[in-house]
Amino acid sequence: MSVIRVEGVTRDFVVGEETVRALRGVSFTVEKGEWVAIVGQSGSGKSTLMNVLGCLDTPTSGSYWLNGHDVARMGDDELARIRNQEIGFIFQTFQLLPRETALANVELPLVYRGVGRKERRERAREALEKVGLGHRMTHRPNELSGGQRQRVAIARALVAEPSLLLADEPTGNLDSATGEEIIRLFADLHAAGHTLVLVTHEPKLAARCPRAIRISDGTIVADGPGREVALGNLAEHARAHG
Amino acid sequence: MSLRVDLYEGARIAVGSLRSNRMRTVLTTLGIGIGVATLLAIVGIIQGLNASFDEQLKSIGSTYLQVSKYPWGISGNWWEYRNRKKLTLELVDTIQRQSRYATAVAPTVWRMSDIAFLGEQVANVDVMGTTLAYQSIGGIQIARGRFLNEIDDASQKRVVVLGADVTDGLFRGIDPIGKTVLIDKRPYTVIGTLERKGRLLDENLDLTAYIPFKTHRADMGRWRDIQIAVAIADTTRIAAAEDELVGILRRARGTPPDKPDDFAINRTDKLMETYNKLTGALYGVAVGIGFITLLVGGIGIMNIMLVSVRERTREIGIRRALGARKRTIIAQFLMEAAAVSAFGGTLGTLVGLGAAKVVSEITPLAASVQPLTIVFGIGFSSLVGLIFGIWPAARAANLDPVEALRYE
Repeated sequence: MSVIRVEGVTRDFVVGEETVRALRGVSFTVEKGEWVAIVGQSGSGKSTLMNVLGCLDTPTSGSYWLNGHDVARMGDDELARIRNQEIGFIFQTFQLLPRETALANVELPLVYRGVGRKERRERAREALEKVGLGHRMTHRPNELSGGQRQRVAIARALVAEPSLLLADEPTGNLDSATGEEIIRLFADLHAAGHTLVLVTHEPKLAARCPRAIRISDGTIVADGPGREVALGNLAEHARAHG
Repeated sequence: MSLRVDLYEGARIAVGSLRSNRMRTVLTTLGIGIGVATLLAIVGIIQGLNASFDEQLKSIGSTYLQVSKYPWGISGNWWEYRNRKKLTLELVDTIQRQSRYATAVAPTVWRMSDIAFLGEQVANVDVMGTTLAYQSIGGIQIARGRFLNEIDDASQKRVVVLGADVTDGLFRGIDPIGKTVLIDKRPYTVIGTLERKGRLLDENLDLTAYIPFKTHRADMGRWRDIQIAVAIADTTRIAAAEDELVGILRRARGTPPDKPDDFAINRTDKLMETYNKLTGALYGVAVGIGFITLLVGGIGIMNIMLVSVRERTREIGIRRALGARKRTIIAQFLMEAAAVSAFGGTLGTLVGLGAAKVVSEITPLAASVQPLTIVFGIGFSSLVGLIFGIWPAARAANLDPVEALRYE
C-alpha cells in the first residue's frame, strides 16, 4: 500500500471574482520508505500541494489516499485525527510554542492523541535523544539555536510515529552548516525506514533526495531521480539569469 | 480524544496564559469583580431588609384578621371607604358566636393623644381602646404589672398600659405602676408596661398606650370608627377563615348578594405583600444596575479574549496542525475566559461581602449575605465568562489552520 496516492487533485481559490487554479490535476504516489522532494518556484503550487498532503486543506476535486485513508472527503474532526496520527510536520519557521519547554513541545501531539502523562514524557524524551537534544529538554525555544529548534520540531514530528514526515523548506531559516546537519538527520531517518516528503525551492536540496517531483503552474512537469530533476531546474535557473 | 483531555488541557493552557499576562489578567478581573461586588452588596442589603422586615412582622403578634372600614395599603377610594356603614360592637359578639375559626375576638379603637406625667410629656401616642382578648391577638408582652382585664372594661375604669417609649419618656427610673398620668387632661392609673417591640416600616410600635375599650368610647368619643381583631388558631386555614368572616359580616349587616362588601378584611400576612409591592420596583432597579455592571465586565472579558485569540493565532495553527480539534480549541479559550471571571467573581464576592458588612455597620440597614449567595456570585461570574467567551473561542476554533500558521 502506498503511503501517498494522489489522483487528479485540483485546488481552486476564489479571490474576489477571479478563480486561481493553484493545482490543475496532480497525480503521483509515494511508497513506504521513499524520500521525495517536491520542488518548484514560489507560486508554482507546491505550498498548496503541501497543505493538501498535510491534510490542512482539502482538494477541490480529485482523490487523495493517505496510508489507505480517503482523506479528500473527510470532515474537520477526522482531518485533525489524521494529522495527529499519520503526519509529522516540520516547518521552515519551526512553529514551536514559545512558552513551553522543548519537552512539552515534543509531547504536544501525544497530548492530542490522549496518551497519559507518564508515557508521553517518556516518549518525548526518547525522541529528543534521537535527534541529539537529550541535554536541552527543559530549555524554551528562545534559549535554543536555530538548528536546535529545528531538531525539537523534528523530534515532535517523530514522537507520534506517523506514517509520513512532511517537511516544508526545513533548512530555509538555517545557515548552510546547520542546514547540512539537518539534511544528514533526514538521511538517517530515511535510512531508518521513514517516509519523507520535503517541499523546497532549493535545487541543491532536491538533488540530495533519491526522488524529486517538480511542479510548475499547478502541474507536475518532472518526476524522477532527485539529481536529474534538480539539474533541469538548475538549467532553467541559469537560463533565467543568463 | 476525550472531553476529559479537552478540559484538562484547556485548564492547563488557560492558567499558563493567565500567568504570562498577569497585568492584563488583573485588569480584566477587576471589571467582572466590580460587577459581582455591586450585585452581591445590593442583594445583601435587600436580603437584610427583608430579614429585618420579617422580624418586625413577628413583633406585631401572630397572624390575625382585622375587620375595618378601610383596607390596609395605599390603593383605593378613600371617600368611598369613609362613607361605609360603621362597624358596631355587636358584630364582635356575632363573630364570637358564629365563627368556627376564631379563637379570640377584640374590638379596637384608636386616637392619637399626648400623655403627661408631672412635668414630662410624650406627644403623638397611639392610644388604643380594647379588651383583654387583644393581649393574645396582638402579641402583647407585659414587662411589668398586668394588661387590661374584663372588670376594667365593664366598669370603665381609667387605667392604662404604656408602651416602652412612653414609659421611658415619662418615668426615668421611677416605678410607673400605680402612678397617675394625664391623657387629654384626664387622669389614668398606670397598671402595666410593655416590652419593647421595635418598628414596623415607619411606624413606632412602642409609642402606644392601651386603655379599656369602654373607657375609650366614653372619654374620647363614641363616633370613632372601630375595628375588630380576630385571631385564628390554625394559620394555614387563614383563607378559609377570611371567607367565613365575610359571610358572617354580610349576613349580620344584611348586605344584598349583588352588592360588594362594605367592609375590609385586613390580614397581617398581607402586609408582606404590600411591603413587597412598595419595595419590589426599587429592588428591580438596583439589581438591574448590578447586572449592567456585570455585563460591562463581561464585555471586558470578551474584548480581552479577542485580543488573546489574535495574539495566539500561530499557536492555534500549530495546535490544529498537530491534531487539536475545533472543540479542543474552544474548550481552551472558554476555560481561559471562565478562569478569569471566576477569579474576578471570587474577588468581587469578598469585596461585596465587605461592602454589605460596612453598610450594616454604619447605616440602620441590616445587610446580610447568605452562604448560597456567595456560591451564586462565583458561579454566576464564571457563567458570564463562559457566555462572553463563546464568540472569541468560536473565532479561534474557526481559524483556517493554513492561514493561522502563516500569521505573523
